[in-house]
Amino acid sequence: MLESRRGANNVIRGPQSALTDFLASNNISAAQIRSDYERRQRRAQEQHAQESPGSQPNAEQAVAAADGAQQVESAVRQNKRKREQDKAVAKIRQGKNAKNHKKAKGGNSSGDDDDYDLSIDMYSKKKPLPGQLENCEVCSKRFTVTPYSKTGPDGGLLCPKCSKEQETERKRDEKAKQKSRGREKRRQTQSNLLDGIAQVGPRTLLDLCLKEVANNIHEVDEFGDLPQSLLKRLSQILSKQRLMNPRTLDLFLRPGLESISLYDCGKLETDDFIRMLSVAPTLRRINLQFAGQFKDEVLDYMMERDVPVKHLQLEAANLVTNAKWTEFFTRCGRRLESLKLAWLDFAMDDDAFVHLVQHCPNLKRIRLRKCFKLGSRGLSALSQLGDLEHLSLQFHSQQSVDPSNITGLVAAMGSKLRTLTLENFADADDSVLASIKSGCTKLTKLRLTGSLYCTDHGFAQLFSDWTNPPLSLIDFSGNRLLDCAEPDGPDQPVGLASAGFEALMKHSGSALEKLEIASCRHIDRDCFAEAFNGAINCVSLRELNISFLTKINSGLVMAMLKTCPNLLRVTAFGCFNITDVRVPRGVALIGVPNAQDCIVQEGNAGTGFLP
Amino acid sequence: MAPSEPSHYVTLISNDGFEFIVQRDAACVAGTIRKMLDPQSRFVEAMTGRCHLSTLNAAILEKVIEYLYYNLKHRDAKDVPDMEIPADMCLELLLAADYLDV
Repeated sequence: MLESRRGANNVIRGPQSALTDFLASNNISAAQIRSDYERRQRRAQEQHAQESPGSQPNAEQAVAAADGAQQVESAVRQNKRKREQDKAVAKIRQGKNAKNHKKAKGGNSSGDDDDYDLSIDMYSKKKPLPGQLENCEVCSKRFTVTPYSKTGPDGGLLCPKCSKEQETERKRDEKAKQKSRGREKRRQTQSNLLDGIAQVGPRTLLDLCLKEVANNIHEVDEFGDLPQSLLKRLSQILSKQRLMNPRTLDLFLRPGLESISLYDCGKLETDDFIRMLSVAPTLRRINLQFAGQFKDEVLDYMMERDVPVKHLQLEAANLVTNAKWTEFFTRCGRRLESLKLAWLDFAMDDDAFVHLVQHCPNLKRIRLRKCFKLGSRGLSALSQLGDLEHLSLQFHSQQSVDPSNITGLVAAMGSKLRTLTLENFADADDSVLASIKSGCTKLTKLRLTGSLYCTDHGFAQLFSDWTNPPLSLIDFSGNRLLDCAEPDGPDQPVGLASAGFEALMKHSGSALEKLEIASCRHIDRDCFAEAFNGAINCVSLRELNISFLTKINSGLVMAMLKTCPNLLRVTAFGCFNITDVRVPRGVALIGVPNAQDCIVQEGNAGTGFLP
Repeated sequence: MAPSEPSHYVTLISNDGFEFIVQRDAACVAGTIRKMLDPQSRFVEAMTGRCHLSTLNAAILEKVIEYLYYNLKHRDAKDVPDMEIPADMCLELLLAADYLDV
């Protein structure tokens, strides 16, 4: 059937419009109509060309008539006439094409096909000229076209009323855009403030370039030999924008690489980690966050290739089994110098920790955050890590830890510890503080947060006559009793209060670089005023967190800013008594909604030549 | 040999031989150049006021100098609009920025 039809017409056709079908059924051919039209046009052009005054063909015709008919000459003449004719037609067509080009305005500007252009000319409706009547495109009302009539959304004309409405809408849109731009800028400033960037002057060229690279990461083929520090910054930016995927990972990999930090491995698969190790089997420092697909196979490969990893930091590597951890520690434990594990709620139980302690004697730094299976047996085993200098434990909220475990740990290894972090340690009491005082002699950083039982007396005792030199970082935030029956806290202060704070400032005030005392709500205003009256020289203090200390007011903050010349960042969420503070330039005051409009950047404290 | 009064302008020379004469203040925005030009250092650069930057070509150096002047102009301003960085030279410029400490 199909064959025969094809045979009859001997053409292959594309889909036809309904109109063409209808015309065909009535024996009318669109092609026929068009060719007729073109023929008529051509004839008209011919005539035009012939009638034009002084044209060659006319003159010749006259001469020819006078000469009388000669066969050869007439043939020559005919040929010549045809050439002239063709030329004229071509010229006219060109002119038409040019006009159509102008009209099309990029819509269909190719316009190689003359016939197509002619047909457009034939079917397109002319726009009415000024002075004529037209129906409005939106409200269909009849109106007189003027030179000022606006074009509607579909290309038609609008009546004066609709024109006006369109105009006001456009203006409103523009205004909204401008407004949101202003809002965005303010939002960006606030966002920067939260990151501790109180911007003075332009951003550094390095920052601008890093931003540009991150924005165009899809077009980057390789980073070349960017230094390690820049790779780290780029990794941070890309991770924040959630752009770290197998493709971008490849940019960071190169043979001989010794250190890699990926802060968001959420989009990386097990194979990607193995590829990372196969390209760079020389990695010594590995830091992978959100590494959910870091499985047994990866550790297997690491052991197989004998990757000389010394510093291992993994977050959420929950699919590594206890058996594999044990095997890994047994085979590669000796070279490990630092191990940081976080968010392990499925594996890494006490037995694994006992193995860790047995086979990793060179560990200097250990940080365990939210390792749900870490129990008292694992904790007490840690005390046998003889070289440990940095101990950091963060417990999760449901984890109950017997303080005696920690006191034992601190007593055993305290004399070597340089930093000690016990976060979210709800069960900590004064015995822990006492053990820190007696055990630790060269701490520079102490963090103890979230305890429900440490008393002010305990803190005061810790800091009075402590043989430890002044600390540079202290974090006692969130030490308070949470009891709904007593929203203002108990009469006997729990957590750091006036006496403890006084002792703290006396002991460490001169060396403190960072102090976090958020939610230590029992510290009196007078105590603060005394601490920041200039008696203690807090020259090195750079960061201060006083969030949720409702007794702090504007005057106290001013005093702090005055007595601590190197202060760069003050975090003060929920301090509603801070209302108007004149913040020196370069200092970030974070989280003070009431003072928003009053912040004046003035003076030139702490601004060097470079931004 | 060192001029008693250091000139107000210094010359930065790219590795393909282009010389840019820029204000000393602007050039000193870049930490590396500042150290080169420090009279205390007694480097040749400080004596002659000419810095050969052999890692930068003219196109990159020109962009860097554009930034130096941009930084100088907006040094004390708040809410400075970011300078446009052409995407095709951002990686090279990144390396240059790291080297020059800007």
